[in-house]
Amino acid sequence: MEPVIVARDVYKVFVAQGDRDRRRAFLALQDVSLAIGAGRFVSFVGPSGCGKSTLLNMVAGLVRPTEGEIRYKGTPVAGVNTDVGYITQDDNLLPWRTLRENVELALEFRGVPRTTRRELSTKYIRMVGLTGFDHHYPHELSGGMRKRVSLIRTLIYDPDIILMDEPFGPLDAQTRVILQDELLKLWEGTGKTVVFVTHDLVEAIALSDEIALFSRAPGKIKHVYEVPLERPRDVFRIHAHPNFPAFYDRLWRDLKEEIVAVELGVG
Amino acid sequence: MGVREAAAPARLHEPRGDRLLREVEQFEQALDHQNRRNTTLGRLAFAAAFLLLWEVASGRVLDQFFVSKPSHIIAALWAMVFKEQLFYHLQFTIIEALTGYLIGAVAGLAVGFVLARSDAVYRIVEPFVVAFYGIPRIALAPLFILWFGLGITSKIAVAAIMVFFIVFINTVAGIRSAPVQLLQVSRVMGASHWDLVRKVTFPAATPFIIAALQITVPQAMIGAIVGEFISSNRGVGHLISRAAGWLDTPGLFAGILTLLVVVLVMNLGITSLGNYLMRWNPKRSNMRDLQ
Repeated sequence: MEPVIVARDVYKVFVAQGDRDRRRAFLALQDVSLAIGAGRFVSFVGPSGCGKSTLLNMVAGLVRPTEGEIRYKGTPVAGVNTDVGYITQDDNLLPWRTLRENVELALEFRGVPRTTRRELSTKYIRMVGLTGFDHHYPHELSGGMRKRVSLIRTLIYDPDIILMDEPFGPLDAQTRVILQDELLKLWEGTGKTVVFVTHDLVEAIALSDEIALFSRAPGKIKHVYEVPLERPRDVFRIHAHPNFPAFYDRLWRDLKEEIVAVELGVG
Repeated sequence: MGVREAAAPARLHEPRGDRLLREVEQFEQALDHQNRRNTTLGRLAFAAAFLLLWEVASGRVLDQFFVSKPSHIIAALWAMVFKEQLFYHLQFTIIEALTGYLIGAVAGLAVGFVLARSDAVYRIVEPFVVAFYGIPRIALAPLFILWFGLGITSKIAVAAIMVFFIVFINTVAGIRSAPVQLLQVSRVMGASHWDLVRKVTFPAATPFIIAALQITVPQAMIGAIVGEFISSNRGVGHLISRAAGWLDTPGLFAGILTLLVVVLVMNLGITSLGNYLMRWNPKRSNMRDLQ
């Protein structure tokens, strides 16, 4: 399998803004190397502030490595990578656009003609059950509906890779599982690569093929696990899978070392 | 259960939920209608009471020479329209205020957009902008008359400068308020620079811009009138300052009343434009329960 994203010896140094006289630099990522195969669903888990999101932003071309390089389909990422879809914790819908106008936004940027846009948006809006809400503004929609819109407005322009930064973080537990299920159904069979950042181990296991565990800051990749669950998966009953308990325990044991170290202020 | 259902007569015609929806809708509509009517009636009553009090108090409690009275003001307005060609004068004032407003607003928007694009340039010019903004702009009026002469050009210039700074500063503030994440996500979706300006930055700045456009309507009128006060033989400002020279209080009030009506009409136009452009904003929707 051809790796579509490769990170090689990536280091990232951030400088704290705001303090004029004393600029403080800190190391966010150190010595990160990783290869993500085409069509894989890969999750990044790790303690808060370990640089998971930074690595994701690098693949999108929004942040540059201080040293090392990120390659996308063999060429180094320089500048914003418009081949990817990017979904964050906030839904980032434009409040001045209706649901349909938000869904069609990327197609407008890409110069897709109006009638094609209409057809595609109608199809995707139907896929997530939002038909009839076309003319609603974001503030008139529920959190789950807005998240569905942000999902389909990314899928609609058919990016090869979808980067998701804790997309279901702010949702309630029920909506969350329902959306995880919808995401899997939308994704399965498309052959798209997904990179998914989360704090939730159950979510990572339920969705991913592989899980990359980050150490505490400055982030390093501690271990990459193959998820021992076959597809298609039933996210609603993922706990009931015979391989789930042992795998979860192992993942949690490894993660706990990092979290405990952070909490105790060690390291 | 069966007894209860039978006891509800509306059940025969439509489901209970539907009936409830219809009733609540009708109730809310009636309430809205009633609220609107009460507001209008209240306003009319307030205006009538104010005018009546003025009319009665003038000459009894208050010195009529200084405050005049509504009936005299109406008569003076009538005389102004027919003897002093009020509409002829009004046309100059409106042209000055409106042209100045448009020039000031367009220039403010354009300069704001250009400057907000570059952080480095904005940091350099910011203190100068603030300094110019601090000048009481009306103090520039004599200078502009010196530069542009006694005709309408100088009044347009004064009106424009009154509008320019407010629109400019608000435009910059609005553009800088555009959320970074929206810009980033749009860039990843393939937006060009022009796309970002048109579809993200500009709409994000509209609340600020609309506010500035509303605030500056009377400012433009102030600019035009003050310009006319200083030197002019045309315009409503000229009529007012002439009435003042003749100690003609009703004439003064008639001139002021005319300006009030003109500014009200201009404001109405801007407000409806603002409401249209801001229809996406939750703050503007009618949410009675939250108040």
